[in-house]
Amino acid sequence: MTTLRETAELEVAAAEDRTRHSLALYYRALCGEVCSLIPYDDGSSPWEHADTETTVWLPREAPLDDHAEFDAQEWYQVAMTHRAMHRALGTFDIDLARDEPLFARMRPTDPGDPDVPSLRRLAGLFGHSVLGVHVFATCEDLRIDAATDRLLPGLVKPARAVHHGALHERPQPATLFPRAAAVEALVRYSLGGSIVWAASVMHEPIARIVSVVQHLRDPRATVESSLEAALRVCDILIGLPTEGAHRSTHQLRFADLDTTLDDSRFDIATLPDRMAGAEGFAGWYHPVAYRDWPGPRYVGAPAADVSLEAFLPQVAQAGTAPVHVGKDDEDADAQGPGRAVAEAVSGGADPAAAPNLRPLVPVVGHEPWADLDTPMTSRAPNEFVYPEWDTYTGGYRADFTRVRVLGAPIKRADHSHYRALARYGHLVGRLVRELERVRPDGRTVSRRSAHGDDLDLDACIEATIDLRTGVEPCDRVFTDLRRRRRDVAVVFLLDLSGSTAVVLPPDPETPGTVRSILDLQRDAVSLLARALDRVGDDYGIYGFSGSGRDDVRLSVVKDVEERATPAVWHRLGGLVPDHTTRMAPAIRHLTRRLRDVEAATKIMFVISDGRPYDIDYGQQYGEMAMLGYTIDDTARALGEAREAGVHPYLVTVDPDGADYLGTACEPGSYRVIAETADLPEALAALYTSVRGTV
Amino acid sequence: MTQTVTPSTVDAPFYLPVRDEVELFEAAYEQRIPVLLKGPTGCGKTRFVEHMVWRLLGRRSGAPEQPLITVSCHDDLTSADLVGRYLLSSEGTTWLDGPLTQAVRTGAICYLDEVVEARKDTTVILHALTDHRRILPVERLGTTIEAHPDFLLVVSYNPGYQATAKDLKPSTRQRFMAIEFTYPERDLETRIITHEAHVDETTARDLAFLGEQLRRLDEAGVIEGPSTRLLVHVGGLITRGIAPRRACDVGLVQALSDDPDVQEAVTQVVEAVFPA
Repeated sequence: MTTLRETAELEVAAAEDRTRHSLALYYRALCGEVCSLIPYDDGSSPWEHADTETTVWLPREAPLDDHAEFDAQEWYQVAMTHRAMHRALGTFDIDLARDEPLFARMRPTDPGDPDVPSLRRLAGLFGHSVLGVHVFATCEDLRIDAATDRLLPGLVKPARAVHHGALHERPQPATLFPRAAAVEALVRYSLGGSIVWAASVMHEPIARIVSVVQHLRDPRATVESSLEAALRVCDILIGLPTEGAHRSTHQLRFADLDTTLDDSRFDIATLPDRMAGAEGFAGWYHPVAYRDWPGPRYVGAPAADVSLEAFLPQVAQAGTAPVHVGKDDEDADAQGPGRAVAEAVSGGADPAAAPNLRPLVPVVGHEPWADLDTPMTSRAPNEFVYPEWDTYTGGYRADFTRVRVLGAPIKRADHSHYRALARYGHLVGRLVRELERVRPDGRTVSRRSAHGDDLDLDACIEATIDLRTGVEPCDRVFTDLRRRRRDVAVVFLLDLSGSTAVVLPPDPETPGTVRSILDLQRDAVSLLARALDRVGDDYGIYGFSGSGRDDVRLSVVKDVEERATPAVWHRLGGLVPDHTTRMAPAIRHLTRRLRDVEAATKIMFVISDGRPYDIDYGQQYGEMAMLGYTIDDTARALGEAREAGVHPYLVTVDPDGADYLGTACEPGSYRVIAETADLPEALAALYTSVRGTV
Repeated sequence: MTQTVTPSTVDAPFYLPVRDEVELFEAAYEQRIPVLLKGPTGCGKTRFVEHMVWRLLGRRSGAPEQPLITVSCHDDLTSADLVGRYLLSSEGTTWLDGPLTQAVRTGAICYLDEVVEARKDTTVILHALTDHRRILPVERLGTTIEAHPDFLLVVSYNPGYQATAKDLKPSTRQRFMAIEFTYPERDLETRIITHEAHVDETTARDLAFLGEQLRRLDEAGVIEGPSTRLLVHVGGLITRGIAPRRACDVGLVQALSDDPDVQEAVTQVVEAVFPA
């Protein structure tokens, strides 16, 4: 039984997931891109939570203190807006050759190989130094925040408060060595600060930096403007010492500085050589929490599990050539060009080496199929006996398999359901709307009713004729619009065989997360369950596994007429891979279960990762004949379901599924999903399509 | 269900062309090629038809008294609803033309709005009208009616919304010249909102910008993106003194979705655009 504390934890987790979902939608509205929001805890290194193209990292708790003039929701909104505007305003679409309106061009006239994306060549302009990329990112932050103020006036007040709060957290430049102090002045200026404490000798370089970056607040500024500014700022910074702090500092007002831009003092041509090897901000820099940390994404790589410091040497070695391992390597291309380098740096995992936890090998020295004549009996109310189709004798073996119906084990404090909704939540709304479209419009017209919304013209005419001819007319002369009963029951039958424990290749969008095929099945069902709850389709969730014809286990996560409670999601999280895949008895049992359900449309989805197998499942005819036996029995069970008025569908993520299912199953009754990772989206699409046809 | 427009009582309906749809429609009318208007809800299809009818027939002598006959289709629409039916009267049964027959006889433009909502057997009666024969078979009268030379059939539907379950049969679709509508770009939509809602240009521009952002959620399938019509309604509320955020809440947020998460996201976009 779920305790109050667990319920409270679940509610908190659900609320967090809803917040993440709505923030992800907000992000998508602003920039049109999908993102997965991942929280990080205090204490992690900034590079560990650098955003990628599809992930946004935010602190688990907004940095609020007693002086904060904003609440957590406003902080998250400002942080998401900043990231979205980077996308919407072209930070990652830089073109080294494109003109910009604010600066005299100092970029090289020959920007390098045009076949290599500009972002990939960006670091080369700064000698592949981390410092250069960080300065460019800070210039972009300044431009983005200024543009956001203009485009989203409703956000100005909370944004100012967040910027003000970020200023409060900054270290005093007086404690920093000159180059760091100049960077700190730049960051403070970008946050809208008005003063900085600095040594007198620093006034001149800080004034020069401000004279450059102030132009980025101009509405005409583009990402190329930020590049021009960053090159000039780096030229100033690289001339400043990296050790020794000044004892005497003075308050410096940015507004009092002479900020006339003098381009004659910059030497950009030699900048790459002078900057080569310059480190970034790490070590002494205090990150601005609402801004994204510049990771490999800033040099055109999708990797997230490696720091920019570790990544840039690889980019430098590759020169201006594409960073990936080569055009011939189609796999590397498909995964993104930076992926190969990222894995080389981090010693990346080999997906093929993922452990198959339970190889499906019968027990040596025992032949369980030797005793096939003993009929099964039901020994308890939760046991059910079913026949099996023997395709080689052309008949059923009566009472041949025994199904034990068990409650799925509960895994307390499991939040995988809510995590799945956060991951795929953006699909739920669309799925709901599509389901609502394919179902009847919810009302049906009933003619010749005694009561109704409108007159039935034909009935009225007949009644009038009856009246005039002296016959007693019928008083059922109305048409009535009545709401239709939602009349669908669907069951999901998940394969829990040992092979579903196979770990999937690592997903670059969720580094550090290990996921199995069963996890994906859970995600798929969570997504659909959420949508079905919303449209009102009744559903059940079951898992099946076993170890022989007398021990086919059917784990009930949610019975078809059971209410969806938090306990259901605990049970879903508690499913574990276990033994073999005797699919047909489970199908037969759910067919029987659906017979007892009053619904006009009954649907069954069997979700599997491979061919049926059990330790005593057709082996008596030899290994070569075994597959035919198991497939034909499964196809027969699906046919029995159809005869019982159930629409069964077999969904498999086995790439070879079409080879064996195509010969035994009816076309349209099975679906092979080529990419395992696509299962949730594919199952949702399949369900919509099935609902449109049954 | 059926609406008619009388030229003498109607001024030129306000319409700003997005592309070359006016020229295309005029060319189609000259050739009497049936026209199919595709586009999302509230993007101006119906207003466009009204505008074109005014341009083509509104000031022309000899134009029918009712130059535009509009039928809003639904899944209970029968062919009798379009063609006509016998009614009982004191003299016996009397034939009453349906809106399509009326347009065919008088040379009006018949506009079937959301045509795919109608039952498939209903749309089949359009076939003989939309090819070289230009005739309308009326089974209950046992006759066919030759279309007036000025008659034109215009239909509309929203492929995005209805693609999942409903579509025009290819044999029907291929009888029409199709003009695709999208939402107007920001400057044009600003002018439309300014004109229709009588709101100041800054507010209209903010509303158009807001619409542009939220339509990205439409592309994602999260919501049906806000139509220009919806933005005009919100503008109208603002003109009447309702605070912009409140007007967006009641006119936009609640209209777009019932999902609390989606509502929260839309509200955040609204609050980013309009200060408190």
